[in-house]
Amino acid sequence: MAAQKWAGTTYGNNWMHKWLIRMLRYMDIRVLYVFTAVFVIPVCLLLNPSRGIAYRYFRQRMGYGRLKSTWKTYVNHCLFAQVVIDKFAMYAGRKFDIEIENYDMFLDLAAQREGFVQLSAHIGNYEIAGYTLVVENKRFNALVFAGEKASVMENRDKMFAGTNISMITTKPDMSHLFEIDSALAEGEIVSMPADRINGSPKYIEHDFLGAKAKFPLGPFSVATMRGLDVLAVNVMKTSPKGYKIYVAPLRYDKAATRQEQIRQLSEAYVAELEKRVRQYPTQWYNYFEFWYLD
Amino acid sequence: MEQLINDLKLQIKEALNLEELSMEDFDENAPLFGEGGIGLDSIDVLEIIVLLEKKYGIRLSNPKEGKAIFQSIKTIAEYVQANRKK
Repeated sequence: MAAQKWAGTTYGNNWMHKWLIRMLRYMDIRVLYVFTAVFVIPVCLLLNPSRGIAYRYFRQRMGYGRLKSTWKTYVNHCLFAQVVIDKFAMYAGRKFDIEIENYDMFLDLAAQREGFVQLSAHIGNYEIAGYTLVVENKRFNALVFAGEKASVMENRDKMFAGTNISMITTKPDMSHLFEIDSALAEGEIVSMPADRINGSPKYIEHDFLGAKAKFPLGPFSVATMRGLDVLAVNVMKTSPKGYKIYVAPLRYDKAATRQEQIRQLSEAYVAELEKRVRQYPTQWYNYFEFWYLD
Repeated sequence: MEQLINDLKLQIKEALNLEELSMEDFDENAPLFGEGGIGLDSIDVLEIIVLLEKKYGIRLSNPKEGKAIFQSIKTIAEYVQANRKK
């Protein structure tokens, strides 16, 4: 049985990250893409259980044949390496071309007095462009994994110093939930992933890509608790220097019971996630047993 | 106080969908977390925080303060009685 949970931290140690950032200040990013595709990914595929997980995802969820699934598994790992490189390139000061779909929907919500929630997922590369969706009048709070490497946290701090962006780190006592709720009560924006069960074991089950999968209850519970508006935000890689941000409203009946609100919101989230994953099947980066009934 | 405890039990039961828990079994002194208690977790606490804000006008945002308040239904009731605005 493969791992049930993904560690959720960026591969490599702090020294490697700092070295990578220095190198990316001068080097063409495509050279690193080619280097990882030729020398790093084949070794990773031999050593890492993510190979089998990705292969089964392409075979069973996408319905590809054996050869196509093998090739797509390789492409998926190459793309994952590229989005990690892109993240460090951003820390090194590189800019990417960002296109935003439904930007007006974000601006409409940002203009309101109430706070709202953005739900993301571990597809594409949220960090590279997710923070593009910021406005001066509303603080943007991003929920981030506390176990992330120090170099990543330091670079995030440097990037967001003096901006209207702050990080809420996950904590073992779950006190980050209070910080999220407090930020929303103050009319701020809170962004969090809603595809991995982390901390509270409570979940809601949905059909996703043709099989049952568990989604964490927490993000949907927090989002509906104050009857706030919710957006799905997914950032997908479209070219070596390009990303596209997909903004989609997630609707639920605010007059319904709490359980019904959570069911409707999570269903809308899963439908949007499925749409994006089908559009960009090789940018799915949940390398653990996501589906539990096959 | 007894009326407040009963109101809180009903409101929390409804908010957290604790259908299997009867009012008789809902001991106001039982710990809300961990074994031997009602077995709530932090997501449930957030629901209770919103409930306290809506029903009693109490705004609670400090998690450290929350630890003492959310020990049991009785400790919540004592806090509500001392701080309610509605």
